Amino acid sequence: MPEPLRVVIAEDAAIMRDGLTHILTHRGHHVAAAVADAPALLAAVDAHRPDVAVIDVRMPPTHTDEGLHAALSIHRRHPQTGVLVFSQYIETRYAAELLAGDPEGVGYLLKDRVANVSEFLAAMHRVASGGTALDPEVVRQLIGTSRRAGELAALTARERQVLALIAEGRSNAAIAGTLVITPGVVTKHIASIFAKLGLPPSDSDNRRVLATLRYLQS
Amino acid sequence: MIDMVTATAQPARPRGRRSRAVLASLLVGPFQRRAWAELAWLAATVPVTAAGFAVLVPLLVAGAGLAIIAIGVPLAAAVVLAARRLARLHLRLASALLGENLPPPRPARPAGGLLGWVRSALGDPAGWRSVAYLVLRAPLAVAGAYVVVALWVYYGLLDLLAPLQVLYHQGQPGFRPFVLRAPDNAALLTVRTAPGTLALLATGMISLLAAPWAVRAVAAADRLLARAVFAPGRLSERVRELEQARARAVDDSAATLRRIERDLHDGPQVRLAALAMILGEVRESLHGVPLGDDHEDARIRGLIDSAHRNATETLTELRDLARGIHPPVLERGLEAALASLAAASPVPATLTVTLPARPSPAIESITYFCAAELLANVAKHSRASRAAITVTGRHGRVVLAVTDDGRGTARLVPGGGLAGLAERIRTVDGRLTVTSPAGGPTAVTIDLPEQP
Repeated sequence: MPEPLRVVIAEDAAIMRDGLTHILTHRGHHVAAAVADAPALLAAVDAHRPDVAVIDVRMPPTHTDEGLHAALSIHRRHPQTGVLVFSQYIETRYAAELLAGDPEGVGYLLKDRVANVSEFLAAMHRVASGGTALDPEVVRQLIGTSRRAGELAALTARERQVLALIAEGRSNAAIAGTLVITPGVVTKHIASIFAKLGLPPSDSDNRRVLATLRYLQS
Repeated sequence: MIDMVTATAQPARPRGRRSRAVLASLLVGPFQRRAWAELAWLAATVPVTAAGFAVLVPLLVAGAGLAIIAIGVPLAAAVVLAARRLARLHLRLASALLGENLPPPRPARPAGGLLGWVRSALGDPAGWRSVAYLVLRAPLAVAGAYVVVALWVYYGLLDLLAPLQVLYHQGQPGFRPFVLRAPDNAALLTVRTAPGTLALLATGMISLLAAPWAVRAVAAADRLLARAVFAPGRLSERVRELEQARARAVDDSAATLRRIERDLHDGPQVRLAALAMILGEVRESLHGVPLGDDHEDARIRGLIDSAHRNATETLTELRDLARGIHPPVLERGLEAALASLAAASPVPATLTVTLPARPSPAIESITYFCAAELLANVAKHSRASRAAITVTGRHGRVVLAVTDDGRGTARLVPGGGLAGLAERIRTVDGRLTVTSPAGGPTAVTIDLPEQP
C-alpha cells in the first residue's frame, strides 16, 4: 500500500468530483479540497500545499483551458505540488505547454483513464513524487511528430513499445509488468534504445523519462 | 373615395349623378379616417425629417471635410447609421399611417471592432439610401408643414374664429375689425364689416375642406419618394440581403455546433466517464471477493467487465463524435487546433499560421475541417512522406494550403472528396484550387473570406 497523499481536486462536474473524492478517500488518501473552478483551485493549493492537484482542463467561466493555466501557475509557484491535468481531449498544444518547462511532477491524461482506477492512482503517485505521467495518446503524438523519425526507425517493435512506456513516465518495474517480461529484459531493452538514440545511460526512472521526452521533442 | 372610383369606373352613369358623387366625396373626404391618418403622418414625420436633415447633413458634410483626420470617417459612419434609423422610423410610420408597406433597411450588422463597424456602415448601400431619402424628403417636409400650417390652421381654423370675435364684441361701441396677421405681425387681411366676417367664415370652411386634399397630395408624393428609394426588386439589394441571410445562417449553425459539443462535454461525456470510473472501482473492490460458486463468480465478473468495457468504448466513440462536431481546441484559435491536427497526422506535417486577426468562428471551423479532410487525403492517397499546412490571412481572406511530396494526380472529380470540399466551402464563397502533376508534389489551396 503506497503512502497516503494529500490531494486537491478541481473539476466542475459534481458527479466526477464527488466520485473521485469518494474513491480517493476510500483508498486512504486525504482530499484536502474539491473545488469547481480555477480561482478556488489556486486558493486551495495555496492554503493546503497538497502533494498533488488533480485538475480538469475545462472549467468555468470560459470552459476552454483555464485548468491548464492554473496547472502551469501551480507548477511554477509550488514545485513540490504535482499537477495531474486530465481532460476529455488530448491536445498536443496543451501537452507541449505542460512539458515546455520542467516536466517533473507533471501529468496529462485523458479523463477516460480514471476508469482504470489503479492505473490512475499509480499515475497520481508518480506525479506526486516528482515523476511524469503522460497519456499513451500524448506519447503516440510525440513519437509521430518527432523530427527524429529516422533514428526511431532503427528501433525494434519491442523497443518502440518500451520507449513509449518510458515516455509515459513508467518505471522499469511497471514496464516489466505491462509487457509481461522480466525487469532484466527491460533493462537490456532500455540500454539498447539509449545506445541507438545516443542518449546518456541513467539509473533513475525520472531522469530517463526526462531524457526521452527531451529527445522526442527536440 | 370609393364613390369616386365607382364614378370614374362607370362613365355610362347619368351626368347629374356623377357630379353629385364627386361633390359628396369632396365633402366627405376630409372626414374620412384616411385624411386623419395622412395628417398624423405629416404631423409625426415633418419634425423628424426636419431635425434629421438639419443635424445629420451638416455632420455628414463635416465628416467628409474631416476625413483626412481620423475623426471624420467614424463621424460619417455614425451619420449613415443614424440616417438608417431615421429612415426605419419613417417607413414604420408610413406602414402604419399610409398603408405603404416597404421593407425597411435591415438593421446594420457591424463586423467586430471600430474598423469593422466603420467599414460596414460606410459600405452599406441601404445606409446611403437612407441619407438620400432624408435629403429628398426635406423639401417635401417643408411643403407638408406649409399645407398643415397655412390651410389647416391659418386660413382654416383662425378664419372660423372671425365670427366669434364679432360675437364677443357685440354691444360694444363701434365695430372692431378682424385682422389676420402674418407671423411677423404684419396685417395680411383686415375685415371691417359684418358681411366681410361672413365671407371670412366661408373662406375658412373652404380652406378646411381643401386642406385634407392638399395633405393627401403631399402624402402621395411621400409615397412615391419612399417607393422610389426603398422599393425592393433591385437585384443587387436582393443579393446583398441573401448574402447577409446566408452569413447569419452559417454563423448560427457554427454556434449551434459549438453548443452541442459543449452540452455533450458537460453532460453525457462526463457522466459516462464517472460511470466508467465507478464501474472500475467496483471491479477492483470485488477483486478477491468470492461472488458465489465458480460459475456465478465468473458470470458476475463477466457482466461487470462488459459494462466497464462498454462504458470506456462509448466514451471513445463519443469523444470522436464530439470532435467531429466542433473540436474544443478551436476555442484557442486556429493555430492551436491545427497544431493538434498536424500532430495527429499519420504523415508528418509542418504548420505555419500567419493570421493578423482571428477569423470568425464559422470560418475557423470550416478551415479546420478542410485541413483535417485534406490531411486525411494525404494519408490515404498520396504516399507522401511529408506534408505542410500553411494558413495565411490577408486582405480579408484566409488562405489554407496543404501540400505534400506524394505522387500527385489528385483531381477534382464529381462525387470525390475534393469536390465535396469545394461544395462545402461554396456556402461562404470559398474557392478551391488543386495543383497536382503526376509524380507530385500536390498543393490544394482553399481561399475563404474572413467573415462568412
